[in-house]
Amino acid sequence: MSLQAQSKMIDEQGRYLPFIYPEEIPFWEATRQRQLKLQRCSDCHKVWYPIGSNCPHCFSMNWEWAVMSGRGVLHNYVVMHKAWTKWFESRVPYAIVQVELEEGARLTTNLLDCKLADIKIGMPVEACYEDISPEITLLQFRPRKG
Amino acid sequence: MTETAQALRDKTAIVGVGLKMGKYSDNTALELAVQCYQEALDDAGLERGDVDGIIQLAYGYDYDRFLEAVGTDVRYAYQGWSHGRFIAPMLQHAAMAVATGMAKAVAIVHGRRRKAYGQTADAEMWRQGLGPHGESPAYGAMGPVFGAAIAAQRYFHMYGGGNEDLAPIAMAFRKHARLNPNAMRRDPMTREDYLNSRWIIEPLRLFDCCQNNDGGACIIITSAERAKDCKKPPVYISGMQGVHAGRQFHNLTLPGLGVAQQEVYKYKPTREDLYAYQMAGITHKDVDALITYDAFSPLVLFGLERFGFCGPGEAREFVKNGRIELGGELPINTSGGLLSEGHMIGWNLFIEVARQLRHECGERQVKDAEIIQFGSFLGESVIFRR
Repeated sequence: MSLQAQSKMIDEQGRYLPFIYPEEIPFWEATRQRQLKLQRCSDCHKVWYPIGSNCPHCFSMNWEWAVMSGRGVLHNYVVMHKAWTKWFESRVPYAIVQVELEEGARLTTNLLDCKLADIKIGMPVEACYEDISPEITLLQFRPRKG
Repeated sequence: MTETAQALRDKTAIVGVGLKMGKYSDNTALELAVQCYQEALDDAGLERGDVDGIIQLAYGYDYDRFLEAVGTDVRYAYQGWSHGRFIAPMLQHAAMAVATGMAKAVAIVHGRRRKAYGQTADAEMWRQGLGPHGESPAYGAMGPVFGAAIAAQRYFHMYGGGNEDLAPIAMAFRKHARLNPNAMRRDPMTREDYLNSRWIIEPLRLFDCCQNNDGGACIIITSAERAKDCKKPPVYISGMQGVHAGRQFHNLTLPGLGVAQQEVYKYKPTREDLYAYQMAGITHKDVDALITYDAFSPLVLFGLERFGFCGPGEAREFVKNGRIELGGELPINTSGGLLSEGHMIGWNLFIEVARQLRHECGERQVKDAEIIQFGSFLGESVIFRR
């Protein structure tokens, strides 16, 4: 499959779409296949986010896309009450979370399958996926048992 | 401390200020900037020909158009991107240009019409690898307030407390604004009013967010020597340090809170982190009032801990019982700050410093104010004295 770098920012319903930069395409191709891939340094073996041209830890240019465990802990969250566009009016209040992966990097997503009152910093979470268009699947997280 | 830094202490000064805030639907950003420039020249007792440097954060017009409009040629021009975190560096550039003789007098000018051009944040949320406040629109994470909310949540997680700990900040600044005839938000605010204000992004409410508006601002800086011939008492620039940036300094956050990719630890300023005090030859104990960037109320907690006014996690107690109010141990944002006076990219904070140190603030005057610090969460600071 081939995903193009795209700059369409909002769909017909008024939902914001991810703005996909060229070097992020492998990340979005992976989510389409329900996989979480990030860059891993071939020299220091660390993982990072945001996606970029080099390893920010050791400044190496040698890296590869690697499949992550998808496991992490909920590191932070906030609850959005303000609807920024019409599409959000029926969705507020919703949580935005920052998840710290076992591999170290932190990602910003929503938390699915969890009531707002049950969200706690430190809770175990796992990756899940949300199709939002024929081409785009969002990485999301949900509570992880055990 | 370098020899140059020591030599620069008190060698430059603010000599003129101009400020307009409100709704100006019939004005352009350029027109507002020109009006504030005229006000500042008049305040300083200077003519436009005395100014040979211009610095601005533009949105809607550029420095060269401004200079055409006011009919002036300069030998030092510089323009930056409109963000509150860039106001201290702009003022520092003006002082350095004057101190090194690149210009005799530099005018920092700003004009702003929000509805005419939209907000910088609308474009910035689409930046690669999240927006400057951590925005990610596809996940519904929008606006600068998102950055302040994630930082506040981490702070409360690490040190305890919650949203209600921000009430004393919003209430103190509203009290100050009520003594400022030019403030935008002047209705009284009780603790109950605060707690009843609607959530924007939990843990932040409407009253944790600044008052945005149209307007303009101008600050004129010249050498200490020339300042003596100006109309009002000079406000000397004694010490300064820059915006700290990088992975450990996410915007709207204190280092150590673990926002975005920051490490998690209890931040305490080192000697190196407090360069401005050394340059000014003072400590935080000499500061008569603190002016800090308060686009969102948690930033006040971060500013206090960044400069060691209290220890890690102690700011939420520090701000209670009137300590940060006029008449308290450390008055903060005596004009009402961005939360209640208004938000002119923060320039109004520096203008309040100048007015306080000239002792022209009437009812809200900090008695015998000699030294005032502008200092914010990213470590940027300018120390002023009269």
